[in-house]
Amino acid sequence: MKNIWQKVKRFIPGDKLILIVALIIVVAIFTSLNGNYFSWTNFVNILVAASLIGLVAIGHTYLIIAGQNDLSPGSVAAFTGVLCATLVGMGLPFVIAALITLAAGAAVGIFNSWMVNKIKIEAFIATLVTQFVFRGFAYILCDGRPVSITNSAYISIGATRILSIPLSVWIMLILILIFGLILAKTKFGRSVYAIGGNKDAARLAGLNPQRIVTILFVMMGIVTALGGIVFSSRMHSGQPAANVNLEFDAITAVVLGGVSFTGGVGDMVGTILGVILIQAFNTGLIMVNVPSFWQYVARGALLLFALTSDYIRKTNREKALLEASKKALASK
Amino acid sequence: MNAKGDKERVGHSVEFRNITKYFPGVKALDNVSFRAEGGEVLAFLGENGAGKSTLLKTLNGDYQATSGEYLLDGQSVHFKSPHEAIEAGVSVIYQERQILMELSAAENIFLGRMPANRFGWIDIREANRKAEEIIKDFGLPIRAQTKVKDLSIAYQQMVEIMKAYSRDNLKVICFDEPTASLSDAEIDVLFKIIEKLRDDGKVVIYVSHRMSEIKRIADKVAIFKDGRYVNTVDAKSTSEAEMIRMMVGRDLGDIYDNLDRNKTIGEELLKVENVSSDYVDPVSFSLHKGEVLGFSGLVGAGRTELMRAIIGADRMTGGKIFLEGKEIVNKSPHDAMRNGIVYVPEDRKTQGILANLDVAKNITISMLDQNSNALGVLDTKKEESIVDEGISNFAIKTPNAQKKIVELSGGNQQKCIVARWMATNPKVLILDEPTKGIDVGAKSEFYQMICSFAKQGLGVILISSELPEIIGLSDRIIVMGNLTVKGEVKREDATEERLLSLAMSEGGTN
Repeated sequence: MKNIWQKVKRFIPGDKLILIVALIIVVAIFTSLNGNYFSWTNFVNILVAASLIGLVAIGHTYLIIAGQNDLSPGSVAAFTGVLCATLVGMGLPFVIAALITLAAGAAVGIFNSWMVNKIKIEAFIATLVTQFVFRGFAYILCDGRPVSITNSAYISIGATRILSIPLSVWIMLILILIFGLILAKTKFGRSVYAIGGNKDAARLAGLNPQRIVTILFVMMGIVTALGGIVFSSRMHSGQPAANVNLEFDAITAVVLGGVSFTGGVGDMVGTILGVILIQAFNTGLIMVNVPSFWQYVARGALLLFALTSDYIRKTNREKALLEASKKALASK
Repeated sequence: MNAKGDKERVGHSVEFRNITKYFPGVKALDNVSFRAEGGEVLAFLGENGAGKSTLLKTLNGDYQATSGEYLLDGQSVHFKSPHEAIEAGVSVIYQERQILMELSAAENIFLGRMPANRFGWIDIREANRKAEEIIKDFGLPIRAQTKVKDLSIAYQQMVEIMKAYSRDNLKVICFDEPTASLSDAEIDVLFKIIEKLRDDGKVVIYVSHRMSEIKRIADKVAIFKDGRYVNTVDAKSTSEAEMIRMMVGRDLGDIYDNLDRNKTIGEELLKVENVSSDYVDPVSFSLHKGEVLGFSGLVGAGRTELMRAIIGADRMTGGKIFLEGKEIVNKSPHDAMRNGIVYVPEDRKTQGILANLDVAKNITISMLDQNSNALGVLDTKKEESIVDEGISNFAIKTPNAQKKIVELSGGNQQKCIVARWMATNPKVLILDEPTKGIDVGAKSEFYQMICSFAKQGLGVILISSELPEIIGLSDRIIVMGNLTVKGEVKREDATEERLLSLAMSEGGTN
């Protein structure tokens, strides 16, 4: 038994293995409570529901590794969904409307990074401003009423299936793959880790932390807007009240996946596992009829669990470092 | 009653037993054992990084010792925080003030234990009265009601000392480089108070690297070297040379004499004209190819601030910079790096290393542009060869390049930073206190490294607070003080006295 474990560990790093084991446990528990949980249909449902969280979690992975954060995606996704539906409703072709919406998402990112870089507000608080303002704009734009979508091109985004998997899932998976590669393989990705570990040292080493932070918030704005478009397409309407607490789920997923709030640590493989895990959990709660008020408590508990494991991982890292340097010094 | 019996009656004591303390990459204290007696001033003497301050911090609970034990008046004690230590009568007075500027002297002295009536109302009059008593005891010309921010730095420090003194149970008081920012007259006042504390039978520990002060105030001197306790000697009867030999463990002269120096200094490389920022007044100087230009001065003289302005880390508010005759503008350290001016910062831990990354990524972080293709994808082969070259050129001791940089010793971390910059092929290398907190063996490696950079034709700027180091390495020394240049000294005219008196002089020659 121990042998097999060692062999598995060689191919999958320990922290990822724990996530996979946690996922198996979650699936097993919910399956035992509701037999329908373990089925292809439900698996696809979970992925579809996870697709919006997944897009936003891409942005959070980058931002939190860089030592930043963003509390605005829920509002921004609702706002961009309403915006795109409104523009199409005004008669604009879907492609044009979508491009304008993505640009609006980018503009939100510029606003966020401006607050963080220039007015030196902590990202956590700065983006709380955006969260409120853009929730307001979402309601203002449509006067509080959902904007229904009849444009067939628009609706097809949410309805199309490729290899019996919905397009929205493909979009999430492909973007996670691309952004995962950028994070792991490019100079931009490397810079993100560097500024997340120590902004001052990174700047003195010739990097430009402010520019990197701006790019990250813009990136977050764009993936969120994309999420807003896809979500509104699935709902057949732009809904100003939608996506409340989206950032909560995305941040929980990212932290579960091993991204540390101290910055400079984590990767996209962890994030995709975290996203699937949290949606498997959320869907499970609904399927075993946990009362919705208690679902809040359960999700809060999951975030607490994620943060606690982040803390334990951090102290373990520090202990390991100290031990390693003790050994290195003793051998000298 | 003889003097010895007298001491036993009033004297306190602290015993350090086998204190060991590890930090990532450093064994800061190595099995330190000795005893400090009340009624005498015990000085801690040692080079930067010898462990003096760390020992105080483990004593008062600011750090936790990895192993070992303390005996206070014969009782084993263990403080989890400085607060606990103060409660038990152990106070440490740091260079940086630990007082609240907006409160009065009296409020600071009795902070957290202000006299109060039975309803819990603070009795400010009683506090002022008691504070005035202590101030009178100390013989100081200040008022209890004065806000601390309106006092001079020296008197702010006195308030801190009075705060410790006002506790009836004060047993041990430690001073960590207390005179760093004091004038001669202020030092006199401080020393009078230290003598008073000593005569009261307190254990007085005095950390300094100024030999003249130690000779003047200390009764005994505990000498430290590389985290180890060497010996305790009598302050008055032991010669300076002997103490230095014990703390350095070798004759410093040899190291500098045996360096393979650059002998041919080339044409002008860098010309700095009236450069200023919010943190430093206008400064001009020039640097030649193959030259090592030293910057000497006291802490806070403005040397680091000047370099930060030059490399664009702080915004320049005036002046011009010419490199090889052409004017350059550095709006950020990135610009400076592209222009060929690089800076190894003073605080390696917070400004130099990227602690979350491994050795390889720390070395290549400034070469991301050169090491990536048009899509931004990094060329791992190219990176590997730079890392291998850096590790072998600078003899970086690491099991492999994938080790986290914080696992290395301080000296090897510093070598990684130097390797990082040398990979960019710079013209001007600025080293800010490069040997701070580095063990003696690694120091001499650094000295030779600096000389060979000069031989390669680089212009090297060396900031150092260690006078022997700056005198031993520099071709020319610029002395700064009060955020501006105080004077310039050629290598052959440089003595420690000359540099110190320039640093403390009033006028500027710039």
